[in-house]
Amino acid sequence: MHSRSISLLLNVLVLIVVFVLAFPIVWILMNSFKQAADVNSYPPAFFFQPTLENYKVLFDIAEAGATNYGTIKIQFLKPVTSSVIISVGAVLLSLIAGVPAGYALARYNFQGKEDLAFFILGFRFAPVLLVIIPMFQFFQAVGLYDSYLGMIWVYQLITLPMIIWLSRSYVEDIPLEIEEAAAICGAKRSQIIIKVVLPLLRPGLVGASLLVFLLAWHNFALGLILTAKNTPVTVALLKLLNPGVNFYPVVSAGLVVSMIVPICLILLGQRHLERGLTFGALK
Amino acid sequence: MAGVSTSSLVKKYGAFTALHGIDLEIKDGEFIVFVGPSGSGKSTLLRCIAGLEQIASGSVMIAGEDVSDVDPADRGLSMVFQNYALFPHMSCRANLEFPLKSEGLPLQDRERMVSSVGKLLHIEELLGRRPAELSGGQRQRVAIGRAIVKEPKVFLFDEPLSNLDAELRIKMRVEITKLHRQIKNTIIYVTHDQVEAMTMADRIVVLREGKIEQVGTPHQLYFAPVNQFVATFIGAPQMNLINCDSAIRGDAKTTIVGFGDAPKTTLPIGGFEWTDGDLTLGFRPEHVVLKEPEGEAIHFRLRTDVVEHLGAVTNIYGQISGSSAEHTDITVANHTQIYFQEGKEIDIWVPVVDCHLFTPDGKSLKRYTVPPSW
Repeated sequence: MHSRSISLLLNVLVLIVVFVLAFPIVWILMNSFKQAADVNSYPPAFFFQPTLENYKVLFDIAEAGATNYGTIKIQFLKPVTSSVIISVGAVLLSLIAGVPAGYALARYNFQGKEDLAFFILGFRFAPVLLVIIPMFQFFQAVGLYDSYLGMIWVYQLITLPMIIWLSRSYVEDIPLEIEEAAAICGAKRSQIIIKVVLPLLRPGLVGASLLVFLLAWHNFALGLILTAKNTPVTVALLKLLNPGVNFYPVVSAGLVVSMIVPICLILLGQRHLERGLTFGALK
Repeated sequence: MAGVSTSSLVKKYGAFTALHGIDLEIKDGEFIVFVGPSGSGKSTLLRCIAGLEQIASGSVMIAGEDVSDVDPADRGLSMVFQNYALFPHMSCRANLEFPLKSEGLPLQDRERMVSSVGKLLHIEELLGRRPAELSGGQRQRVAIGRAIVKEPKVFLFDEPLSNLDAELRIKMRVEITKLHRQIKNTIIYVTHDQVEAMTMADRIVVLREGKIEQVGTPHQLYFAPVNQFVATFIGAPQMNLINCDSAIRGDAKTTIVGFGDAPKTTLPIGGFEWTDGDLTLGFRPEHVVLKEPEGEAIHFRLRTDVVEHLGAVTNIYGQISGSSAEHTDITVANHTQIYFQEGKEIDIWVPVVDCHLFTPDGKSLKRYTVPPSW
């Protein structure tokens, strides 16, 4: 009886948490299917005639002049592709550079190792706004401004430290004996890495990649300052907030679209994400 | 097939010296066991031979070739690790094939060799499974299989049985001994368990603090330990030690010792290496008798404390009473079916032929009663 009431209470609490967390997302989803008139109605409309017009406007499928907003051109596919290119590129570059670094930090002892590791993590401490102004001038000067390459490079600030630290922790989880056994079995260093270490790291790295992909996908400040045409989706969403026009339903549609890519990736790699989130904690 | 030797091998970890110049000669086909307490350097020595540790100076020779600077992969040996170290992402078959693939053997040969090892170790039906799906004993077999499949010159074991339960450990111990008889290659085996060492080894290397204390057959270590450390390390329960109250040199092959007021006893142990200080008497628990023996013997009274009735043997723990060696802890191992009670005083005798004497710095004095067989 006693434990049943506690479990009931816990369930109610969980429901409240779920409601609080889910509400904004559900609200955005609903807005994205509303007519402009329904968005600001009071009391809020929970039942309405859904429309795809907002999505059509977003991808410029609706004929010019046929919308509530007059003739505006929004090419939302472009920032989505830009974000995919930048985020995926950033994650791939981080994996190529970060996994060997993490391996070295886990397996080799050298002077100042811990200081170096802390220094790498230190990039995550610095507020992005602090570095962004000098970065702007620098990017202008060397011609990296508004380029994918520049964005992928500067996104390493976000993705690389995480990949290095996570892969270090995953390598430390692999018993050294396994690598030694491979060495005694006659495998050369490169074979040990390719045939033994990387396959064992794979589940962890899939999770870690998803995690840092999300961090990259959500970044706003770097794209805002360092791009003009090749803006990521976060910045494109801001540009949808056109003053004077009631754009909320279109922004909502944009938000839903920007969520689709990460959601697809998470569904694909869900099993591994758990491990990425609880890295090192489960030994 | 090959012997292994090390000369003046030194291993350092920073300022700490783990091995202080090890000289060791292991013959072709020999089963040699490194034994010692933790921190004695036995595993380090094995890892130096394997090439997993860089040595500071000295050399390692395998089959007459200096391999000090050769990669582990090219030393022609194989190793079984304490935690098996199987590749968890591969099937057992792939685990067994791994060393063969590294050598670039063709598929046909690999299959033949894997299946013959599978037969030898009775693991044929496990080959399709992953290591995680196996029990500890089965994993151990696969690990041994992976080590023998490439027919190494030298076979290294690093405490391979310490993760198994007692019953399985005894079973695997016998199997490894049988395996050695079948494949006849050189085996170097590290353990902290002196029973494993005594039962399996052709010769035992006793290590302490990075130095070799003694190298010898199990028989030699038991009957003629070179010092007090080896004497107490080999044999279970441990050898008893009692300080002699008086000791004088007899003729070339005898020493006369006394305890309290009891009559002095002449031991058949030469005292030449003893110059000064008090001697320590050593005798093994299993050599204590409870009736006055025919030959000469030292007599003590023992107050029994804890008694362990194991069936085949009874271990009696107690203290000496009624002499100046009073309160010295003594263990007696009795193989009769007598039922002992705790808290009683009993008479014990130690035949002089079973006595050891140690100098103050722990050296053994020469016994003239050791079995004549060697």
